[in-house]
Amino acid sequence: MFGEVRAVDDLSVSIPEGAIGLVGPNGAGKTTFLRLLLGLVRPTTGTAKVLGHNIAEGIPVRERIGYMPEHDCLIPDMTGVGLVTLMGRVSGLDADTAISRAHDVLQFVGVEEERYRKIAEYSTGMKQKIKLAQSMVHDPQLYIFDEPTTGLDPRGRTEMLDLVRVIANSPGRNVVLSSHLLPDVETICKYVVILDGGHQIAAGELSQLLSGAADRLRIDVRGDRVAFARRLQETGVEAEATPSGVHVTRKPGVEAAIFEAAKALGAEVRYMGREIRSLEEFFLELVERSEAVVGV
Amino acid sequence: MSTVAEATGVSKWYGEVLGLNAFTASFGTGITGLVGPNGAGKSTLFKLLIGQLRANQGTLRLLGENPWNNVPMMRRLGYCPEHNQLYGWLSGQQFVEALLRLDGMPTAKASTAATAALKVVGLSGAAHRPTRTYSRGMRQRAKLAQALAHDPDVLILDEPLSGADPMARVQILRTISDYAKDGGHVIMSTHVLYEIERITQNIVLIHNGKAIASGDIHAIRALIDEHPHAVRLETSHPRQLAQALARMEHVVSLEVPADDVLLIRTRKPDAFYKELPGIVADTKLDVRSLESPDDSLEAVFRYLVG
Amino acid sequence: MSISLPTYTRREIPLLGRRHRLRAIIVTGLRREFKRPAAIVTTGLGVGLVLVTSIVIVLFRGLFIPGQPLDLSFFIVPASNQAILFFVTLMASVVGSGLIAEDLNSAALTLYLSRPITHADYLIAKAAILSPLIAMIAVLPLVLTPFVAALLGLFSWTVALEAMGLAVLLGFLFTAFYTSVTLLLSSLTRRKSYAAAGVFAVTFGLSIPATILSLSIGNPAFLYLSPWEDYLAVAQAAFGASARQLDWPWALAILLAATIVASFVTYLRMKAVEVVSG
Repeated sequence: MFGEVRAVDDLSVSIPEGAIGLVGPNGAGKTTFLRLLLGLVRPTTGTAKVLGHNIAEGIPVRERIGYMPEHDCLIPDMTGVGLVTLMGRVSGLDADTAISRAHDVLQFVGVEEERYRKIAEYSTGMKQKIKLAQSMVHDPQLYIFDEPTTGLDPRGRTEMLDLVRVIANSPGRNVVLSSHLLPDVETICKYVVILDGGHQIAAGELSQLLSGAADRLRIDVRGDRVAFARRLQETGVEAEATPSGVHVTRKPGVEAAIFEAAKALGAEVRYMGREIRSLEEFFLELVERSEAVVGV
Repeated sequence: MSTVAEATGVSKWYGEVLGLNAFTASFGTGITGLVGPNGAGKSTLFKLLIGQLRANQGTLRLLGENPWNNVPMMRRLGYCPEHNQLYGWLSGQQFVEALLRLDGMPTAKASTAATAALKVVGLSGAAHRPTRTYSRGMRQRAKLAQALAHDPDVLILDEPLSGADPMARVQILRTISDYAKDGGHVIMSTHVLYEIERITQNIVLIHNGKAIASGDIHAIRALIDEHPHAVRLETSHPRQLAQALARMEHVVSLEVPADDVLLIRTRKPDAFYKELPGIVADTKLDVRSLESPDDSLEAVFRYLVG
Repeated sequence: MSISLPTYTRREIPLLGRRHRLRAIIVTGLRREFKRPAAIVTTGLGVGLVLVTSIVIVLFRGLFIPGQPLDLSFFIVPASNQAILFFVTLMASVVGSGLIAEDLNSAALTLYLSRPITHADYLIAKAAILSPLIAMIAVLPLVLTPFVAALLGLFSWTVALEAMGLAVLLGFLFTAFYTSVTLLLSSLTRRKSYAAAGVFAVTFGLSIPATILSLSIGNPAFLYLSPWEDYLAVAQAAFGASARQLDWPWALAILLAATIVASFVTYLRMKAVEVVSG
């Protein structure tokens, strides 16, 4: 366990190691939760521990955390390497280690000679990388990434998510990824915490939360979908044509039946696989349900 | 009318700085996604389309007319700029109303139109709160409301989803889809590619001020010869299946990355998908799942832009 | 881009403590200030002018202040040098006004406060950037003047040493007051220029009306509002010069109280800043 939060404004969360997604609508309490993790706020009631330290003693907690904020926060008239080095020293590294680590992490995130130029001249992508670098320089055990892909173009998003994934998959390091882009959370995190209205409304391993119907298949058919579904039904397969494809109930030999039907009708099968609910669908359903209960 | 906007050799410079460089593309009816790296020229194109900038070179036609300084044309457009600063002290309702009246709408009509637009985007509950209390998602929706309120023919949206929470995202996408279904045309730019794919298959890819691809995502993908199409098949007999599939002459490579996975690369994906059911049915080899990891906008972007 | 995460076994080398973390902020801050011409010019001019005028007064004391006995009380004269007030104000507004304001503006405060330092640490570091610079104008010339005077044999060393000691104390008082007030103003706004204007307002905006009011109404109590008059009252008492209109205990209390209250309010202001924004 790296974090255990009991009853804070009714929020009870317990977080395992690894990569955790933190998801929730605006005003759900995500910001407060992050402030708690950083030891910047004391819970009104209850206790919380992060990495074995009570958050009431903010400093030991922040020694072990690297925070990448969502908003702009860099000092424009410093150089990239200067800022990262300073932040390393403020986190407690000695001057030489700080400079050496700064260069290492800048290399890791992909900032080359730009590191010697002033941050005021950086592009959005480079600024995000510096934000990432300053969160890593002191090699924390817990990383908090708040919307790391804000403002990045598709290439920048891919690069950033790859970096986050490498960090998340490194042993001994934990990542909390807070984002509105649920597919991103899905690809990187194994565990997700969903907040709404100051409460945790769901938490668990993604694979379990989303497993939905493991006994169903979704088929993306090019051709007459309805005819395809009908043909399958004629062969005794439970099939249903919907806008997102043809959904069938699994049973032995159903895959063969699908290809036979495709061959017979001259249709193309472009995708055949588990009918997995996306995190987004799960999340929206959950929030609707919880808001219906509260009467929002 | 088959094209909503047509650009031919459009160039725009800001001193030495590149905006657009001989940009040639046409935007069809319905929803078109404008996709490209930062600095590629998307904002420049939008400003040209809404008549705020004049091109240095080339011709640009929106709904058949030149948009530069074209006031009647501006009435038929709805524009959502990228930045999020609204007039903080106005409520959502006042904000949309004010902009409508600037458009020339009479006050009473503006009021009803504003209320209706805010309802469409799901902001009825918060319509009377000052916009400075709005979250990012709500601001995006307020901007969309003002763009829709005067019933325009074309919506031009610059990053309408950025910063929005998941509910707002779904709502905004739904609003745009519904608008297009009712006969509206949309040109929207975004960096989150899987969201564009959800509502349209038509894109224009822009890079360094030029259009490097336009049209249907899958058609573009099929055209990118240097990157053969990858298809991943789960089967308990990958090698036998590989043998059977190797017969197809457009297959470039076959890989067995795991005991139950066959990865095939083909230059002609359409032909492949057409022939595959026949081969599978004839050989009676079991194929448990089938997916194409790179038939997506993300892959197209990566291959063309890098 | 390299593909593996650079590792660093923190557990082998323990993290350095507060002093080092603060030192990093202070040293980097000072270095950044001295890259700007404004800070260099102000320091140079300030120290230079104040020192030169003070020494000139000492040398030509006969000319400037006939009848002034050459004992400790003489040194009230360089201490009353208005150039000190002017250059300290200039230094505070040029260098000090941006110290917190710029961090608020760029939101770099988030980076600092999400690290293992407290709000108090941050303020101490900022104060430690500004106060040496102010002290160079408020303390250094006043300490050097008796020293030079004694070297030239114009005063005895006993007197000179006492004068130097008093100069240090007075200078620190003045420095502390201006440092805390400047930091408070800097923490209240994102624009450096507003804070700078505030510093000028504290100096001249208080002293000039205070002087005018006290003269026109004839009540010297108004002079308590002027930081410079308070400082002079304390200095006069310290150097044993003839008393003026203000009681030095009150003046001292006002300066100290202002310094403490300003620091405390600044601290509260810092605590109120949201490090993680929603």
